[in-house]
Amino acid sequence: MPENDLETPGGRDISSLGFDSSGILRLEWARGIVIDAPNAQLAMDRVNAMCDGRPTPLLIDMATTESVSRAARAVFAKRCDASAIALLGASAVDRVLANFFLGVNSAPVPTRFFTDRDEAVRWLMSQGHDGA
Amino acid sequence: MTGRDDDRRLEELVDGIVVLSSGDLSNRLEVSPARDGIDAVTTGINLLAEELQSMYEDMEVRVAERTALLEAAKAELRRVINTDELTGLASRSLLQEKVAEAVTGAGRGPQPALILLDLDSFRLINDSLGHAAGDAVLREAALRLGAAAGARHLIARLSGDEFAVLVVDQEPDAVLEIASRLSESLKDRIVAGGVAVALTAGTGVRLGEPGLRSEELIRDANIAMHEAKKRGRDTLLVFSAAMHEAAKQQVHLVAELRTALATDELELEYQPIMDLRTGTIAGTEALIRWRHPDLGLLAPDTFLDAADEAGLTVEIGHWVLRNAIAQTGRWKSDPGLPADFSTHINLSPADLHHVDLAPYVEDLLVRHGVEPRHISIEITETAIMRGGPEVAATMQSLNDLGVRIEIDDFGTGYSSISYLRTLPASQAKIDKSLLDGLTTDRQQETFVAAILQLIHSAGLGAVAEGIEDREQADRLRHLDCEFGQGYFFSRPLPVADMTDLLAHRDGAAA
Repeated sequence: MPENDLETPGGRDISSLGFDSSGILRLEWARGIVIDAPNAQLAMDRVNAMCDGRPTPLLIDMATTESVSRAARAVFAKRCDASAIALLGASAVDRVLANFFLGVNSAPVPTRFFTDRDEAVRWLMSQGHDGA
Repeated sequence: MTGRDDDRRLEELVDGIVVLSSGDLSNRLEVSPARDGIDAVTTGINLLAEELQSMYEDMEVRVAERTALLEAAKAELRRVINTDELTGLASRSLLQEKVAEAVTGAGRGPQPALILLDLDSFRLINDSLGHAAGDAVLREAALRLGAAAGARHLIARLSGDEFAVLVVDQEPDAVLEIASRLSESLKDRIVAGGVAVALTAGTGVRLGEPGLRSEELIRDANIAMHEAKKRGRDTLLVFSAAMHEAAKQQVHLVAELRTALATDELELEYQPIMDLRTGTIAGTEALIRWRHPDLGLLAPDTFLDAADEAGLTVEIGHWVLRNAIAQTGRWKSDPGLPADFSTHINLSPADLHHVDLAPYVEDLLVRHGVEPRHISIEITETAIMRGGPEVAATMQSLNDLGVRIEIDDFGTGYSSISYLRTLPASQAKIDKSLLDGLTTDRQQETFVAAILQLIHSAGLGAVAEGIEDREQADRLRHLDCEFGQGYFFSRPLPVADMTDLLAHRDGAAA
């Protein structure tokens, strides 16, 4: 299950990060976070560390994200160990944020926005990857 | 949330958009915790504003970078335009700019003056020692002129071997002193291509005058320099109003000459060349004339210099070749030509530098059905000696065609005589100045006899020009000179008279 990781530098920005039982790496941003380049990079480094070089499906819960800066989007546009990314949101705001990223920056791996967690998981599982 | 609350939020959203549209792209709209549709629109607008702001910033950075690059390129271009690459001196365009500045900025004191120098016979250095040596000479000349002028005055290289010095704030005496120092500075030998060469220059000075425009300063210095060049090597001349008048007339003459070429005002007269042994016609020399609408028939010495300066020499040379060969073709048909008859055509050094001269002549010969032996090309001794490899190659090509080559003005140049044996020439024409005193001065007769012997021993035939009386003709025949021309036999004749003479050649010309 995803674990809390509050003690790592910048860890407070990430509410939890860890593999679920189906091998999907889940990242949940802290409530009300403003994502900018440094914490975006930190998250990416953390994800890469967890994946350890293996292509891994990644589910990002961004339901409570306040905003994502342009510089942060540029960080997410770089290739990481994720083999596919599902962006999970709840509100119209999340949809705008997610799709702005998808529209403006070309994602390095298959990336889609979902409002339904199960659907997101199904989609991730259907993407080809080595699995964890 | 209540409808009233939504109205307030929408109003805030509109206000925020108004601020953004006023140009303040840093403004961000507040997103409420509701994260509803209004928040989604607000978020979208924030994101778009951020995107636009970022694009503008990127663009500004790029514009600044490109502007800096452009400025650097402009500075480099200006440096290239303002500098003569070979010598590092100022370029013509920088000189023009600085002359204009000096003229505009001159107060009541000494006016800016301009000194132009053109190296004498520099082409000979390039032709004989090669361009690398020529460039080395120019660099050394530039250094010396720079040292002689001093750092206060701008020194420029205007073209191949032409230099200029702009002198400011100096009285006329001082300007002339600088001019003299400049030409003196060139005279110490320069070693280039393993050979020591001594330079001289034609120098033209234009002293400044209040009210004189910069173009006039440059133009007048040029006129003075060209006049100096005409007077011979190592000459320094200060511009005078009379020079300007002469230059204006020259410009007028050149314009008229261009018209003359286009409107067929040029024509050829033909002076018979006699075989002194038999008294029969051996050939004719084509001599160019200009039937000027106001001045009447002009001899070549009145306009060929102008033609040369205007770069019309080659065009005129081609005109003469075309017309003389065509006329020879017509005579061949009617009334017919003696077997050894040849039409003599004078060509200038400029004509001989054109590598396509021989094919051009060949084409004319074919077109007019003239056998090459009926054409003789006269080239002055000086042109041959100064001509270099291109002239030698052209002479060889003409000779290969079967066209005869004649050395004109023989005995007036300063050449070594050893070249006589190696040239592809068949005749040499001795200058009329050598005939002075031929019949009255025993020593002169001996001298002419020696020259004729020299020509014969090189395997060439001899032609004497400027024969004015029977005594001279008899004496030359006695000295074994084969051919002669001059007023004694005939003045140059219009085509019709020359045709008549050929038709009645059995009657003998003199």
